[in-house]
Parts: sequence; structure tokens; C-alpha cells
Amino acid sequence: MTQRDPVCGMEIEPQSAFAKREHMGQTFYFCSDSCVDQFDADPHNYVMTSATTGFNPERTLTRIELPVSGLPLKEHSTHLKATLHALEGVDVVKVNGAAGRLEVQYDAQKVDVARLVSAVKSIGFQVGVTRVKIGIENLRCASCVNFIEDELKSTPGVLSATVDIATQEASVDYLPQKATLSQLNAAIEAWGYKPRPASSDAPVDKQEEAHAREYSRLMKMFWFAAIVSVPVLLFAYPQYVPVIRDLSMETIRWAWILSALATLPVLFYSGYDFFTGAWAAFKHRSANMNTLIALGTGAAWLYSTFAIAFPSVFPEGTSEPFYDVVAVVIALVVLGQALELRAKGQSSSAIKKLLGLQAKTARVIRDGKEMDIPVEEVLVGDVIQVRPGEKIPVDGVIVEGSSAVDESMLTGESLPVSKKKGDEVIGATLNKTGAFKFRATKVGKDTALAQIVKMVQDAQNSKAPIARLADTISGYFVPIVMILAVWTFVTWFAIGPQPQLVYALVTSVTVLIIACPCALGLATPMSLMVGIGKGAEHGILIRSGEALQTARAIQTVVLDKTGTITKGKPELTDTVLSEQSSVDGEQLLRLAASVEKVSEHPLAQAIVEGAQAQKLELTEVKDFDAIPGHGVSAKVEGRSILIGNLKLMNREKIALGSLEEQSKSIADDGKTPMYIALDGEAAGIIAVADTVKEDSAEAIKVLQNMGIEVVMITGDNRRTAEAIARRVGITRVLAEVLPEDKANNIHLLQAEGKKVAMVGDGINDAPALAQADVGLAIGTGTDVAIEASDITLIKGSLKGVVTAIEVSRATMKNIYQNLVGAFFYNTLGVPVAMGLLFPFFGVLLSPLIAGAAMAFSSVTVVGNANRLRGFKPKFSVR
Amino acid sequence: MSNLQIFVILSGIVMTILIAWYFWFAPKAQTRVALSESGAQEVAITVKGGYTPDVIVVQKGRPVRLTFTRQESSACSEKVLFPDFNQNALLPEGEQVTLEFTPDKAGEYGFQCQMGMLRGKLIVE
Repeated sequence: MTQRDPVCGMEIEPQSAFAKREHMGQTFYFCSDSCVDQFDADPHNYVMTSATTGFNPERTLTRIELPVSGLPLKEHSTHLKATLHALEGVDVVKVNGAAGRLEVQYDAQKVDVARLVSAVKSIGFQVGVTRVKIGIENLRCASCVNFIEDELKSTPGVLSATVDIATQEASVDYLPQKATLSQLNAAIEAWGYKPRPASSDAPVDKQEEAHAREYSRLMKMFWFAAIVSVPVLLFAYPQYVPVIRDLSMETIRWAWILSALATLPVLFYSGYDFFTGAWAAFKHRSANMNTLIALGTGAAWLYSTFAIAFPSVFPEGTSEPFYDVVAVVIALVVLGQALELRAKGQSSSAIKKLLGLQAKTARVIRDGKEMDIPVEEVLVGDVIQVRPGEKIPVDGVIVEGSSAVDESMLTGESLPVSKKKGDEVIGATLNKTGAFKFRATKVGKDTALAQIVKMVQDAQNSKAPIARLADTISGYFVPIVMILAVWTFVTWFAIGPQPQLVYALVTSVTVLIIACPCALGLATPMSLMVGIGKGAEHGILIRSGEALQTARAIQTVVLDKTGTITKGKPELTDTVLSEQSSVDGEQLLRLAASVEKVSEHPLAQAIVEGAQAQKLELTEVKDFDAIPGHGVSAKVEGRSILIGNLKLMNREKIALGSLEEQSKSIADDGKTPMYIALDGEAAGIIAVADTVKEDSAEAIKVLQNMGIEVVMITGDNRRTAEAIARRVGITRVLAEVLPEDKANNIHLLQAEGKKVAMVGDGINDAPALAQADVGLAIGTGTDVAIEASDITLIKGSLKGVVTAIEVSRATMKNIYQNLVGAFFYNTLGVPVAMGLLFPFFGVLLSPLIAGAAMAFSSVTVVGNANRLRGFKPKFSVR
Repeated sequence: MSNLQIFVILSGIVMTILIAWYFWFAPKAQTRVALSESGAQEVAITVKGGYTPDVIVVQKGRPVRLTFTRQESSACSEKVLFPDFNQNALLPEGEQVTLEFTPDKAGEYGFQCQMGMLRGKLIVE
């Protein structure tokens, strides 16, 4: 008996069949590999009689889908199939290269998942295995480690598990479609231990954790130094402290010896970083802040100890120690570092806000079951269910259902966008009205949101050109300060008043301590970080510090017309009737739109949409004919209709009368008029035009008020261009510019000696964007990483240009404040510390005050940078 | 002027020369990078108070793979930046972090922590 191949319909002998499949209790035979593959892709399609439930109790096969990356397309999958079939117990192998899925049906008693996975890996494919780390609380006994490991390994879907008693963590490789996190937790609980939520792998959280740890370490070091400081300080100035001043010299000397001992742990515990850092730098033939602090406090301690050990070497009454400098300076500088760290944490809030947009969980459908899983576990190819009001977890394509999606957080489009099957959805956007299922196409670091975050982070860590100056200075700074300290000592010792050694030592230590290379080093990066983050919060992605710095000095902004000033899409604007018209305006539009519905011309689309917006019902069209260079002719509701330009009307000898005048004045406004004739009589004009974005004029006005010249550039004819320019208030228009000449025109403007910014869409205007000093690309949604641009405005409005310049100006101002502040601090502080004021006013700086000044100068820089967080743009483009 | 004062002045001059020589003029040890089997130039760099090695010589046109391991908790060194290559990385304590890029122009390029306290140099030949 022959069997029918369910795919191609060919009658074949079962014995000589290429392959067979069992599906829902039926056996199917196939003539060729291609028919099998088509069947495998969607077996339900080919099942004629589906009365059975599909459940076959005799079969013990287990079915698993493995996400595999780098799968070959069908024709090359033979090797993979053969490798798997070679394993005992493997029954069916289906490869879906496009979706990146491998489906295997196997006998679970003969082969396990781990062997399947290793077989796939053995021939060079990667299986999408998820690895988690789960903390285990109070894990003490070594033998429990093995029990928990075995329990985890016996959980279906787990490929390997190791438990580390030192870190108290289990590290598990598993297939997320087989096992869930809660099952893994349950396995640990089965042995009476409490799983702790695995520490997050997100770099931002990790950094925050590290900062918190470092902060508490610094604070411990601070408190230790601070507590030691109190008694040391009291005995350092015995003559000023009641009770102590009455003590005998002998007692005070003992107290000093105790101070010497008490400050040693301050040096080596609280000051640990300074000494190790200074030594490490010294080995690299470099010197930094650590060097200065270590030298200053180290010298103070050595001198003091020498002074109390050999008082006879010093002139009478000058052998006093100053251990207070050691303890207090270290306490203050460590406190300064702790405060700086805390302030730094606030600077990265923009990234946290962006990451906060991300959904935490996704409802994926695997093996026909819906399950909530962490968004990190979503794989490419997963089908995800999204209900109304939920966030879309990752990027993908809708496979079922439709909805309206609010994409304002990424595109700035305030109206929800309607989405149907086949449309793309972006992760982190909000589903409004309907429910739908979509297939994930980009997950993890590939999603649009992740790319935005990456771009912002990269920019925050880039360098503004101005920072290079600060870097060059700080490269020479510390050795110069050391040399100054040496000469301070020499000068005070050689020509200073008595006691010379004390003065010489105190002043040179003060010089070492007050100099603060950190304030210089921190000045630019901190402001840049806050400024670029602030831009990102307002939908402005600044690619680098260089772009940010250049944007401040922009004198001319060149705006591309189409798509930048205008919406870039024609819209219906006017309907004009002729005097003898036999129809009313609505009728005219309805008939014209019915014809244009058939046409493929871009202007036609605008007319159809215009009619649909007025809820007009379109009718059937007959005898449609497109006349190239003229227009179209057709029959609608029994009437013959002509839509086209003057040439068409002249050719058909249609009298236009006053319409021709009206048409000219419409064209003068930058619109495109089309004549319509019904049954050989002129009926009216319909005009379409690329309309100006609602807020373009306002944004341009603000730019002009900021003292920036605004120029329009377009390939359109001068008349249309000038009509638009008038409407938005632009006086300088570069019209009829060929696309390839745009960059050249920018160059000409630059030749006028101006810093030029070009604003355009990233694709057509790429050369011009690259030529300009700053290229701003208007991008929407997923195309965030527009290569040619220095700044991307992810919200389509021109107001973004204003905000970008504002952010740049505010940030650069902040950077200048920081740099000037840090520079003045050092150029004033160091000479004062050297004792320059002493000959005139008798003023000397105490090393304690120097320590405080140094500690708080870098905190001030970070604090000033954080002031930028209060930046409010003129327009809030939310 | 006493002998002691003259001695201090002379010491000051010697110290100045020593400081200038040691930090600015003395030649620095350079680390040449060998090619690995894969054709990349691989270097492991330890971050602790500085970068070890800190002067790295590589050939142009071949990928450079730098693996950083930060062995301190001080927040200063938590990031490493290569501004000329627009590369940067967060260095969690104790973790190996790899940066990979291909320098295609000869020259000297600095790398550093975020505020420029730790510095190194990549020499491309």
C-alpha cells in the first residue's frame, strides 16, 4: 500500500520512504529531506485528521528544545543531525536555523540532556545555557556541599552544579526552558539551607556594592584615626589645655611616647592606602597624591620621634613632637575620600534611571506553558506574552495579536504607536491596550536600551579635550610639589627664624599636604559624567566628551529641511473647488482618494490618509492608468477622473479658469497642488505638503535668541524651501543642494570661520554630519547608534538641539569652574603653605588646616559636579 | 652661614636633581608584548597602586588584548580608560577584565584611571 507524502502529495512506498515521522498518533512518510523539514517546521499544518489528543501513552520520548547559536541553515545541518542520532536513545532531531532552535526527542532512560548538550558542543556549536550563582546562607559543613551539589544536579535541566563553601555560593549551569530558578532554590532548601538571592551581575549594582564596601572600609579607617587624634591632639598643645597644662613635663613626655605608639597603627592601618600607593607609584617612577600624603605624614612622625628620643640634639624648648599632624591629616584625608566616594555614587544616577526602564521579568511561552522568568534568562527566539499595561521586556517582532505601544521613553513619540503582526517592538516600552505575543530578536546587551546605556557609559568615560590639559599638568604636578617642599625646607633652614629646624619641617610638611592633584584630576571627568548622564535623561545621547565640548561653541546650526524641520512625510493641506465644480469638497476628496488608493506615488498616500482622517468611504476604481510625468486617469462611480499636473490638464484640453492662479499661490506656499478634472471639466485642486513639525518654529526661535545663526539646507527648489523657511523664521536658506554637495556646503560655512553644527537624519546626511564640527542626528527608536553623528537626539523634536547645546554649555561651565577652582586652590595654597606670607604678616598655615583644605577641595569638585544634576532644560521634552 | 646650612642647601640641590631625574628623565622599563598563537598581542596587567607593567610596547595593525586584574579596593582605580581608542572598562576587584582593540597608527598612547592618578603608556610601533 502506498502512502501519501503530506507535504508534496506524492504517493510513495513506506519501505522506500526517505524518512518517517510520528505525529499525534499518525505515521507520515516523506519523499525527500526538504519535505521532512517543511513538515517538521510545523507538523500541525499537515495533520488531516486530528481527532486524537496527540497523547500516546506508549511513547516514553522526552522532547526538548535547545537554544543553539550559530546553527546552520537546513541544508548544512546533516552533520549536526548525524552526531545527535549517533547517540543511543535519540529519536528525532529537528533543526531550525532561523530561530536558532534545536529540537530533540529522546528516550530519557537512555540518554540525558547533559550528553545531548556536550554532543552539540563537540562539533562546535554553543548551547544557550544559563549560569546562575545562588548564595547559600550559613553553609558550614563540607559534606553538605556534596549533598546540595547532587540535589542540584538531579534537578531536570541542570547540566552542572558546584558549591563553593568559601564563597557560600552555588554556581549552576542549567537550561532555562527545563528548570527555573525556584526549582534550584527548592533543591537547596531540600537540605535545610536558605538560598540567598544571587548577587546581581549587573555592573552598575556590582559597582554600587563595591562602593558601599569601600565606603565602610574608609569610614572604619577614618573613625580609628579620628579617635586616636583626640588624645594626641590634646597632648600636642599642652599649654592650651586645662588640666593637661598643669601636668609635669615628665608626664607629658610619657604621653608623647604613647602618642608615638598610638599613631603608628594610624599610619599603617588608616594610612595603609597612602603608603602602599606611594610605594607602588614610586616603583613605576611616578608620584601622585598618595606620595604627598605618605611623605608628609611619614616625615612628621619620624621628626617627632627623633625629637622626643634625642631632645638634647635640639635647642632648648624646641624638641616638641607633632604627632597630631599624623593622626589628624590621615583622618581628614580618609574622610574626604569617603565623602568623595559617596558623592560619586550620585553622579551615576542617570545610568540607573535608564536601567530602571527595563522590565524585570518576562512571561515566556516554552513547551506550550507560560512562565515568568527573569528578563536576563530570555533567549533569542523565545515567544513572549505581553498583556495590556505591561512593559515589553526585550526587542522583538510581533507574531500574534496587536496593540498600541507607548514608546515615548525611547523615541519621544508622545502618541502610542499601533503595532500588529510582523511589526517590531522595542524592549522597555509600554504596552497600552491589547495583548500580543512576540518573538524575541534581541536580548541582553543587544537590545536598543542596552545599547543606549552602553553608549552613554562610553561617553561618560571618554575625555573632553580640555581634560588633556589638566592631565598634562598633573603629570608634572607632584614632583614639582616635592621639589618645592625641598626648597621650602632649605630656605627656612638657611634664613628662617629660630627654631629653624621646626619651622623648616612644619612648612615643608604643610606644602606636601596642601597640594591636591586630585582636584585637578577629578575636575573634568566628574562633570562630564553628570552632564552626559543629564543629556541622556532628556533624550540626548552625546557620544563623547569632545562632542560635548565642541557643542558649547556652536555659532551656526544647519538644519536639514525634510525630516528635521518638517515631518518628512507629505500631508493633505488644501482642497480647492472650481467655480463650475459639480461636487463638494468632501466628494472631491473622496473620489480623488479612491483613485490614489490604487496609485503607489508617495503623494497619493497623503491624499488617502487625508480622506481616511475625515472618515470618508473610498469606492471601487476601474480603468486605472498612470501617465508618467503627468498624473493618473481612472473611472470612479461611472465618472471619468483625471488627477495630475498642468501638463496633464493641457494635454486633455481642460479649461482651468481661475484654478491656475490659485494653484500658483498654493505652490508659492511650498505645497504641491494637483488638479482634478471630472468628466472633462476642471473640478478643483488638492494640495499636499510636507508639514512643519509643531515645535520647529519655537525651537528655532530659541536657538536664534541664544545668538546662534540658523541655516536651512535642502535639495528642494528655492520657492518651496523659502516658503517653509518663512514659516519657521529662518532667513538663510541653502536650496537646491544635491545630497552629495551638502557636506561641501557645510565646509563653506566653516570657511566663514564658524563652528557649525549640522542637524539631519543619520542616513542621508551622514557626510554632512561628519563634516560639521558637531553632527546631530535625529533618530528615533532603535537606530540609536547612528555612526556619523556626535550627538543623537532620540526624540524627533528640534527642541533637542536646544537642549543639547544647553547641556553642553552648562557642563562646560561646570568644568571650567572646577578647573579654575582646583588651579587657584593649588596656586594659592602652596605658596601660603611655603610661608610666603610670613615675612609680611607673620602668617603660617597649620598643617592641620592644610590637611582639611586638601581633603575638602576634592569633595568640593565632586559636589560642584553634582550641582549639574539640578540642570533643567528650557524645554522639558518628556 | 654655618657648615650645616651649606650642607642643607647642597642637599636641597641634590634632592631636586634626584627628583627630576627619577620621575622625568630616567628611562622607564618597557614591556614588549609577544604574539600569542591566535595572532593577538596579549598582556596581563595588575592594577595595584599603579599598572604593572605600565609601559607596554605593541606592534601596530594587530589586535591587542589587555587583561586587567585589579587587586585593591581603592575606588580610584575602578576604571581604566584608553581615551585615544575610546575604550574603557570597569574593573571589579579581583576579576579579570579584558579589553581588546587594534591600534592602527604608531605612536604613544596613554592609559589611566578615571582621574589620572594611575597612568600607563601603550607604545605602538
